[in-house]
Amino acid sequence: MMSLPFFGVFLALSATLAGQRGAALVLWVVSVAAMLALFRLHATDSLHIAL
Amino acid sequence: MSESERFRLLNALGLVAVAAVLITAFVDQIAFHDLPCPLCILQRAGFLGVAVGLALNVKFGPRPSHYGLMILSSLAGGAVSVRQTLLHIVPGEGAYGDAFFGLHFYAWALILFAVCVTGSAILMLFDAQFERGPETLPRAPLLGTLAIVLVLLLALGNGVSTVLECGGGLCPDSPTGYMLIDDGTMQRLMGR
Repeated sequence: MMSLPFFGVFLALSATLAGQRGAALVLWVVSVAAMLALFRLHATDSLHIAL
Repeated sequence: MSESERFRLLNALGLVAVAAVLITAFVDQIAFHDLPCPLCILQRAGFLGVAVGLALNVKFGPRPSHYGLMILSSLAGGAVSVRQTLLHIVPGEGAYGDAFFGLHFYAWALILFAVCVTGSAILMLFDAQFERGPETLPRAPLLGTLAIVLVLLLALGNGVSTVLECGGGLCPDSPTGYMLIDDGTMQRLMGR
């Protein structure tokens, strides 16, 4: 599951090389969304800092 | 050479720089057995998000939307590196991984994401790159195409490496080895 953003970017770059701009943009959105969702799943502990 | 072509070349150089960052992380992982933690993996994904914006500029010509995409990727990756830097910012709380020229990789990542945001904003100041005549866009520069292929292979390599390290689920917070190699899954798949 953690590899999803990488495969998403791989496909986005493949679409770029193939001249498919729209597909590349959609795949980029999917990759960044997956990355942020995974970040949310991993950022569970509170930070020991005083702000 | 038109202004648009000049900026396509500049974006190609940016892609080479992103590739250099990812190669450095890979060399540290493989040569020094410094396994990437989950947050480290997500920061690599952030750099690859920036690379998509650079690649779009190289292939389709510079557009403000492509720079916007680079900035958004940098902010997403930067959020991850801010979190990891804050996790280890208190002296004596420990750190993750090896230091590289005095800073840990997540601190370098934070600096580099800030550089990406600043660089994208500065490049967007040059309006002439966005002006297009009626003629069709020339082919992407060779350096740019090669750089896109290089980053594409690095994305695939990182994907495969992450599957080997974490399998199909979430990665452990402090990985000690490659899950699919250590549990014999790879040997079974290869029929040994």
